[in-house]
Amino acid sequence: MRPLLERARDNLRDKEVVAVMSGKGGVGKSTVATLLAFLHKDTALIDLDIFGMSIPRLFGVVGRLHEVEKEGIKPFEIGGVKLFSLGGIVGDRYVVLPGANEGGVVEALLAFADLDGVKRVVIDMPPGMGEALLALERVAKFKPVLVSTPSKMSIKVVGHLADYLSERGVKPPLFVLNMAYVECGGVKVYPFGRGEEARQLAERLGSTIVELPIDPDFENYVGKIHEYRGPIYRELQKVRL
Amino acid sequence: MHEWSLALSVIQTVDKWAREHNVEVRKISLSVPIVSQLDISILREAFDMLKKESRLEKAELEVKVRTPRYRCRACGYMFGHEEVASQIEALVGKYGEEYPLHLVPELLPAFVKCPKCGSHDIEADLSIQVEQIETV
Repeated sequence: MRPLLERARDNLRDKEVVAVMSGKGGVGKSTVATLLAFLHKDTALIDLDIFGMSIPRLFGVVGRLHEVEKEGIKPFEIGGVKLFSLGGIVGDRYVVLPGANEGGVVEALLAFADLDGVKRVVIDMPPGMGEALLALERVAKFKPVLVSTPSKMSIKVVGHLADYLSERGVKPPLFVLNMAYVECGGVKVYPFGRGEEARQLAERLGSTIVELPIDPDFENYVGKIHEYRGPIYRELQKVRL
Repeated sequence: MHEWSLALSVIQTVDKWAREHNVEVRKISLSVPIVSQLDISILREAFDMLKKESRLEKAELEVKVRTPRYRCRACGYMFGHEEVASQIEALVGKYGEEYPLHLVPELLPAFVKCPKCGSHDIEADLSIQVEQIETV
């Protein structure tokens, strides 16, 4: 019997779990996950991208360690969101792990995160379809949010993820086409193409699609993303999830 | 402090199982890897405090501290805990009481290198398991 697996299941039971996923890295998953976490109250954001750990950087908590109490790992509370990250356990350090260990790390983080008072959990997943995805499936029922850029390559690989999820009977309620356009003098410019394939994929999946802009001002909020209420956030606000 | 959250996990898991099987638990054997450096006396104290009003109320906790053999997947070298103990002690010194392997033993390969070739590609059974449950 593995007590951490059972505890992780209990910890997430009766909570809405939203898993932000992509087929590949570099599509802005952590940004989307973070901004989605701000949309509702009583939300926890759990960073399971244990090899990337962008989220501590976005929130400006790099190197800060979680406190541990009787009830488990205490979150960083920032901008109304309860944040948990492996970065809060290992600090600002690289993590290299054999695949088999990754599942144990995911289970431990989900088991010991103190989710008291939390109704909704947004999870920033690592890219691809590895052990973290399988571990999450072991632990909870979740709503996947797929993230892609308009790049054909990115859409192709997110298509594989969507096929896998469909096979498992899981439908993504939301497809995020990130970095879709940039506003220039009131005109929308589409530097990476119009993402027609993404729209077709979202339609096939029955998912709502949202296009998010490139916001050149966003970089100024790295480290204080809780203060960001720019166009990327405003577009996500229109989404019902 | 992590001993308390671990004890709570064990009690909740076994209590749920005992309720499903309509039994009372007399003894639990818990197996933990040595790298977690759990304070067994605190774990027992936590267990005894938290087991009240559960199907484990009269249960005894047995803790087996495993000293696994490690295997480097890069060079094939097999080694014992004593060969990497200094690396783990250094980690405790750096992070303090709630050091990463105390909370998540599976993180061992991220912090410990093969003493022969320096690779992090290390294999070992690092999970925390309830090995045996005796019931009434």
